[in-house]
Amino acid sequence: MRFSSNVSSWFNVRQELSPERRKIVGWASFLLPILLWCAVSYVPFIWHPMVVVQQAGDVDYFQTDMLVTREVFDEEVANMQNDGKRLPEGKAANPIYLPAPHEVAKAFYTAFTTEPAQKEGLWLHQSLWQSIQVIFWGFFISSLIGVPLGILCGTYSVFSRLFEPFIEFFRYLPAPAFGALMVAILGIYDGPKIAIIVIGTFFQQVLIISNTTRKLDYSLLEAAMTLGTNKFKLLWHVVIPGILPDLYRDLRILLGWAWTYLIVAELIGTSSGITLFITQQARYQHFENVYAAIFIIGFIGLGSDLMLAWLGKRLFAWNKAVNKE
Amino acid sequence: MFSNTSVSSLKKLMVALSVPLAMAYGNVSQAAQPLKIAYSDWPGFVAWQVAIDKGWFKEAGLDVKFEWFDYGASMDAFTAGKVDGVFVTNGDALVVGSGGAKNTMILITDYSNGNDMIIGKPGVKSIKDLKGKKVGTEVGIVDHLLLLDALQKNGMKESDVTIVNTKINDTPQALAAGDLTAVGTFEPSASQALKLVAGSKPIYTSAQSPGLIYDVLTVNPASLSNHKAEWSKLTPIWAKVVAYINDPKTQADAVKIMSARDGTTPQEYTKFLKGTRLLSVDEGKAAYVKADGLTSLYGSTANADAFNVKNAIYKAPQDINKYIDPLLYK
Repeated sequence: MRFSSNVSSWFNVRQELSPERRKIVGWASFLLPILLWCAVSYVPFIWHPMVVVQQAGDVDYFQTDMLVTREVFDEEVANMQNDGKRLPEGKAANPIYLPAPHEVAKAFYTAFTTEPAQKEGLWLHQSLWQSIQVIFWGFFISSLIGVPLGILCGTYSVFSRLFEPFIEFFRYLPAPAFGALMVAILGIYDGPKIAIIVIGTFFQQVLIISNTTRKLDYSLLEAAMTLGTNKFKLLWHVVIPGILPDLYRDLRILLGWAWTYLIVAELIGTSSGITLFITQQARYQHFENVYAAIFIIGFIGLGSDLMLAWLGKRLFAWNKAVNKE
Repeated sequence: MFSNTSVSSLKKLMVALSVPLAMAYGNVSQAAQPLKIAYSDWPGFVAWQVAIDKGWFKEAGLDVKFEWFDYGASMDAFTAGKVDGVFVTNGDALVVGSGGAKNTMILITDYSNGNDMIIGKPGVKSIKDLKGKKVGTEVGIVDHLLLLDALQKNGMKESDVTIVNTKINDTPQALAAGDLTAVGTFEPSASQALKLVAGSKPIYTSAQSPGLIYDVLTVNPASLSNHKAEWSKLTPIWAKVVAYINDPKTQADAVKIMSARDGTTPQEYTKFLKGTRLLSVDEGKAAYVKADGLTSLYGSTANADAFNVKNAIYKAPQDINKYIDPLLYK
């Protein structure tokens, strides 16, 4: 049965798909959500719980382009029918919170090309650059302390017992709640924002890295010690080289983690960066711009991750797990 | 222990590492700092953008820096002592002060003149219709105060309605959800609620209670006593701003500047401006005369103080006189 074997070959357990199929499925992972979004936006009977008024008719409070719920609209149509007055006309629509794909695509373009209305205002790419700097410094400072500490905890039990119980506790505390304190210590500009990213990332980072370090094959350590390496040289010559590819991958994941703290971080102190753009646009219900900005964050995140993955392949050419991605 | 070179390279490393920290710490307290003022999204505060964009501070030889905040974050920055002045309502000035960040209100920008409103769902015609019903507003802030004022004027008590604590930003959706008979909210959420809930109407607005909520510039008392001359230079600049906004010839330009700061269109902004009564220097001076009613900043602030104590926002009544200084109107 050629057909069925063909179908089942898509589902081979733990085996790589052919390059062609990989490509198809990879695109589908983006296409499916977009198709779903298109369907909800353009096919009226799927959702569309609102009605956008096109002709007010004799309903005193209706205006052109006003959004009303379908129940209210139907009720007013019935009222007008009963009174023998002019009927309102309208078209099914989605709530303003869910713009259609083409609106977001257009906003995407216009957001970058619109000159800042304010005299000393920032272009969107300048706001983005502000945000990227906050992320960079937050992640850099967190890693500067978190990576060495994580490796120490994963290697020597004494560090693990000394730091990990408290870190386990602290990682549950909501980072943004420290905002006001950070303003008091670090001022109103980028300092407190960077601090929130650090608080949000650091504690997870230590635990993840210590865990990765613990997973290093113990036979490597044994062999090194049998050959006469002392306990401290072991760290430099065996542990760190041994975990480097996994460490690199952890950091990629943690960088994504840092991005998720950006929006709360930028609400602290002066309003700045991409968050200022998003909150301002949301306040006036320009949700197409809001989604465009959210997607830009997604693209930057995915783009930088792909770049790091590519770099990783070259840096750790010997490592199978990295090369498989 | 260390050789000289390793010490100096260690030093270099320390310097390199401290750069981001220095960046983060930047501008905390150097000599000859400009006066730093936090402002946020309210027409009476955004009005100052006109003076900023027109360069009127420089013209007056005043070194001042305006920083744009979310309203709540601006109060945090003031409380932390990171800015010299902040724009708030007179009631919130007391709240900030009750927590230890004592402050002095030196200039009135405006009072709310319709931008704060109680919005009833379709069919609700007046405050009296709210008897026994649920009303959503953010407990302890200005629109709660507005609701109490509305009830009192209609011969009702707070216990005649059930207040549901609702964030101002969520009031449009909360009214649309249908459980609430009315919400107390301010612009731009108020406009959104009216748009979102077809047939809903404002049944009471701050225009019916002028002076209930004053918006002021309040400053750090230490900064005020050290920089009296500088702060006093704000008076003529404010006079110019109000004139520029109120003059039909220049209003369009003013609204353009203000709406740009706010990220909205001039048309949308004109509406918010109408709900705000900017106070000229003479009108501000009149409101700085001690009196009991809401026409005086003293009376209005005493009223807000009583409200704050009653709602347990803070425990002890504040000494109103220490919060108000008519220096800029002398």
